[in-house]
Amino acid sequence: MDATAQIGRTLAQAALLLVLGPLVTGFIQKLKARLQCRRGASVLQPYRDLAKLLRKDTVQSNSASPFFRAIPVLVLAATLTTTAMLPVLWVPAPAAAPLGDAILLLALLALARFLLAIGALDAGGAFGGMGASREMTVGLLVEPALMMAVFSVAVAGGTTNLGELAARRLTLPALAWQAPDLLALFAVLILAIAETGRIPVDNPDTHLELTMLHEGMLLEHSGRGLACIALATHVKQLVILSLVAALFFPPGLARGLGAGELALACGAFAAKVLLLATFLGVVESSYAKLRLFRVPQFLGIGLVCAFLALALRVL
Amino acid sequence: MTAEFATRLIDLLGALLLFTMLVILASGRLFRSIYAVAAQAVFLGIAGAVLGAATGNVDLWIIAGVTIVVKAILLPWLLLRVVRKIQIRREIEPVFPINGTLVVAAGIVVLAFHLTASLGPVRQAITGNALPVGIALILMGVLVMATRRKALVQMVGLFASENGIFFTAMAVSQGMPLIIEIGVILDVVLGALVMGILVLRVRSSVNDADIADLEGLKG
Repeated sequence: MDATAQIGRTLAQAALLLVLGPLVTGFIQKLKARLQCRRGASVLQPYRDLAKLLRKDTVQSNSASPFFRAIPVLVLAATLTTTAMLPVLWVPAPAAAPLGDAILLLALLALARFLLAIGALDAGGAFGGMGASREMTVGLLVEPALMMAVFSVAVAGGTTNLGELAARRLTLPALAWQAPDLLALFAVLILAIAETGRIPVDNPDTHLELTMLHEGMLLEHSGRGLACIALATHVKQLVILSLVAALFFPPGLARGLGAGELALACGAFAAKVLLLATFLGVVESSYAKLRLFRVPQFLGIGLVCAFLALALRVL
Repeated sequence: MTAEFATRLIDLLGALLLFTMLVILASGRLFRSIYAVAAQAVFLGIAGAVLGAATGNVDLWIIAGVTIVVKAILLPWLLLRVVRKIQIRREIEPVFPINGTLVVAAGIVVLAFHLTASLGPVRQAITGNALPVGIALILMGVLVMATRRKALVQMVGLFASENGIFFTAMAVSQGMPLIIEIGVILDVVLGALVMGILVLRVRSSVNDADIADLEGLKG
């Protein structure tokens, strides 16, 4: 496969995740509303919010440096770049130039987190600093655990390239589900809740200072900048869900680019994402927000599960 | 059911047992650890049934049924009843920080796998990794008992430890004689009854079920 075709595919995939990101958020919000016996906003509400924000001007604090304006764009760029490493609809052909692997994907997510925190500190608001410090505390627990869970699968597959990993998991019978897979899946599901900023770790719906992590860092952003960050958050959520799907539920990925195969892959992708989004929505509806000091305990289960998944694979 | 498939299923059930054990260790709520230990007993019963189907040992089916009825329904019901009666809804107060406990638990699992690796022939059996998982469960149950102050949580730890003993026995012997298993289960039920009554009595006379207060009895 030549380079242009590969770039075209990668961009198409990025565009797909960019467009579908807000829809997943809308779906989770709708599901939550239905579970609370409310009618809820339409699943398209996140798109309307984004459109509204895009029409507004940006206001920024006097103490913010010029770098502050670049942060929303950089966060969105870092998040969007991760989509290039994910097998979403098809397994990349082996001849394709490697764009990066799971390590780069996690590093880019960490970069986006770092930029957001720096931006929140830069603006000089008290809530921003608080949100940033909390987010980094959670990140400290989530990132190594996510890496260990991914490595646990990568050790068995013999590669850190997610596309190849998914392809090998599709074919190799030795990679059928084993105990470490199950532990890694539990770990990733727990960490996904934290990474997508959902209850019981974070509450995406409020700006109440006692509960917020992620929202606290967004307070100083406004208008188009806020729209970029909100979009990045939607995309990050979908990226995390796709990562879980690619690591643990590869069936359904298309091998070629035939219309029938792609249609099947689209259906499979939609089913996997809907399932995981339903999981997030149900968990969010059935648990209360944890006290901040309890969060490390909750994430500790994920961390230990991920560690055990890796340890059992190596031992 | 082929032996290979059974091995795989028991391997997965072992992972579920480890996960429920971690939930018990990490939970700050009494109710959650009781539900987790009940779930653990259900997985244990399923593992017994799988092994029974794979080896054709009828005793294992009976033991699996008894395990689910007694350990997954009867004992948790008893515990929940005691909890409701003495109305402790407070969070569990650990003696040792919960995150530290989790680290120790991870160490226990790694050690169990590492040490049983030297027991080659035993691990070759149909039950695969059940032996290290069982040993890890026993030790983690002891860890729960050692790091919690409330008597009821210590009972949960004891049940979890007992689940580990059951799983280990299954791994090594591929099903112990029925009479022994029934005896062990009766022992646990009796122990739970005695402890439940004791906790209720202690609670009614000193208004608390905190083991640490017993320290004050020393002369």
